[in-house]
Amino acid sequence: MAVHLTAAGVPPARVLVVRCPDWPVPPDPGRAFEQVVSLVEELCPRVEVLWPGACALGARGPARYFGGEEALAGKIIEAVTGGGFACQVGIADGLFAAQLAARAAAPVTMVAPGQAREFLAPYPVSVLDSAEVAELRPDSAGMTELLPRLGIVTLGDLARLPASQAVNRFGVAGGVAHRLARGLDPRPLAARPPPADLSVSAGFDPPAPLAEPVVFAAKALAERMHAGLAAQGLACVRVQVQVISEDGQEHARLWRHDGLLSALAVAERVRWQLAGWRPDGPRDEAYPGGIVLLRLTPDLLVRAHGRQLGLWGDAVVSDRVARAALRVQAMLGHGAVTRPVAAGGRGPAEQATLVPFGDARDPERSPDRPWPGRIPVPVPATVCQDPLPARVTDATGAPVTVTGRALLSAPPARMSASGGPWLAITAWAGPWPVAERWWRPQAARRRARFQLVTEDGAAWLAAVQDGHWQIEARYD
Amino acid sequence: MTHNSAVTLTYIEFMFDSVKVKAGITQVTRLSARGNAAHVLPAGNPPAGALPVLPALGELLPGGLARGSVVAAGRWSLLCLALAAGASVAGAWCAVAGVPQLGVSAAAGVGLDPARMLLVADPGTAWPQVVASLLDGCELVLLRPPDHAPAQVRRRLEAVLRRCGGVLVVAGDWDGAQARLLVTRQEWAGIEAGHGRLRARRVLVVADGRGAAARPRTQWLWLPGPDGSVGLADQVVTEIQATG
Repeated sequence: MAVHLTAAGVPPARVLVVRCPDWPVPPDPGRAFEQVVSLVEELCPRVEVLWPGACALGARGPARYFGGEEALAGKIIEAVTGGGFACQVGIADGLFAAQLAARAAAPVTMVAPGQAREFLAPYPVSVLDSAEVAELRPDSAGMTELLPRLGIVTLGDLARLPASQAVNRFGVAGGVAHRLARGLDPRPLAARPPPADLSVSAGFDPPAPLAEPVVFAAKALAERMHAGLAAQGLACVRVQVQVISEDGQEHARLWRHDGLLSALAVAERVRWQLAGWRPDGPRDEAYPGGIVLLRLTPDLLVRAHGRQLGLWGDAVVSDRVARAALRVQAMLGHGAVTRPVAAGGRGPAEQATLVPFGDARDPERSPDRPWPGRIPVPVPATVCQDPLPARVTDATGAPVTVTGRALLSAPPARMSASGGPWLAITAWAGPWPVAERWWRPQAARRRARFQLVTEDGAAWLAAVQDGHWQIEARYD
Repeated sequence: MTHNSAVTLTYIEFMFDSVKVKAGITQVTRLSARGNAAHVLPAGNPPAGALPVLPALGELLPGGLARGSVVAAGRWSLLCLALAAGASVAGAWCAVAGVPQLGVSAAAGVGLDPARMLLVADPGTAWPQVVASLLDGCELVLLRPPDHAPAQVRRRLEAVLRRCGGVLVVAGDWDGAQARLLVTRQEWAGIEAGHGRLRARRVLVVADGRGAAARPRTQWLWLPGPDGSVGLADQVVTEIQATG
């Protein structure tokens, strides 16, 4: 059978594009999309990630395996929606047509082989400007604005032009656009090989009853893991240590690594983790049933390009403090030991971000912004993690309300926090209305803050939102 | 001294980290580990002296916070943070255990440096072990015990304290504490019924303790003052207000 070669010398391959319409997903779209890609990779390996939100794969082989392109598309949609993500699938000759098909899909659009040019014809030339094809063609320098003025409105019009004229008028960009319009691909898929398994594990037979042999094996394992990572030019941000005992108990914990830990240091963390597993027992006591498996898995792989420590500036964590913090983390978990970072915000709870010890110290919101309407200094020393429900009434016993124009129904006279005793209010200030993030309906909130001083001398930061009173903080 | 220089050397080595100096690093790390072990277990001679306190608290705690001692500060309040602030200003690390409701901005206001703080919001049932581990690394640990500490647990922690030369500030009661501070009166200034705002709080702090600190002392303090910091409140005004 003769293979029809295109002008570029690439046979028009069948391409399947999976597109997640509700991307980007905060906070880390790239990492979240890895989950989608791994769901797709379970069905067919060799997936190319186009950008966070879309990936492509060669459809011919998997379609033959699953019994047709329709069946393949069905399988993929089932797998991805099963993972909790919405998705659309398009199948066509070439990446460009498949991407547009995926965009039009509800949820599957299939363009029959050889029909790509007809499928593309009605699209306006402006699709050449969309972000999806930006990387397929060189910069067009206003080509898509000029073409309609020349009477070439759709891709079909462009495809009907002789190729030489498109190149003459618009250069390389014109040539590529013309080829795209004819349903030909400028490049084949660059599918990534399925990721290699870089985790290492050691089994113990007979089960190891003491921590020492496990820690000893951990050092050799860590050396193997580091060698595997170095061979790929990678470093891991965190390493997961997983220990399984013979009675089926499993204990897994993530440790900060950043490519800085030596094999000995990893083994040390295994020792802490084993000690933290049974915090009550002495260190040398046997584990019930013994340990049968130790596995080290590198997590969050990044390219290894060394690390430069600052010469001065940030408070340097001494070895002694780091050791204490890591030992507590071994007992309670990575997130249990935190370091506060000043953050921006109006409420008392928003003004600090707690970062797990060892992680990068970036505040959620910048503290340098003015934050108009933030609570005044002095700030409360006790900040309720979850605001306490409260009741505030006026002298007649009716609940105090605040109107949309920040007018008070009556001066507050008595309050009770989370069902506690009623206290007379001796002094108060407010309301201080705050309307935050009104441009984002999910996060928007309107509230009015008050400072209340009660008869026992305590001072409270209260807020009323949707007619409900809350205690946000106490000035202890 | 050897310990300090070894740590510095480790950091300098890491600055030029590459595969070639790996052997050197392991050697240096081993050295520094040995130095640390000697530092954590100073057999027989814990660091003498005291951790400094804020100038405003100098009258109440004339010698500062004696190393190896427990200071009880009544219930959780800004006073606990103020007690820890002096040491933090002087460059000590400070750990806070069992206080999920800590207001970090208020802590920074009285002088604690957030960059040198470790927070363990929920130390759980194993809190004595957690506190002992924290005392190994930090010179001052602020603890709100989740429950009443049995005598055995207290003795164990006090032994750790004496060994490390740290200070334990307890937000709560602690039988046998070397010093005890209590807020007995408080009044807010700057706020009226419907106008003004909370500007400052004047508190009467009573300190007593054992040994040299046995004689009770009282002091009026701004806690917090108008800028969130701690200051001495005027005695004369106080007495007029107290009688009137």
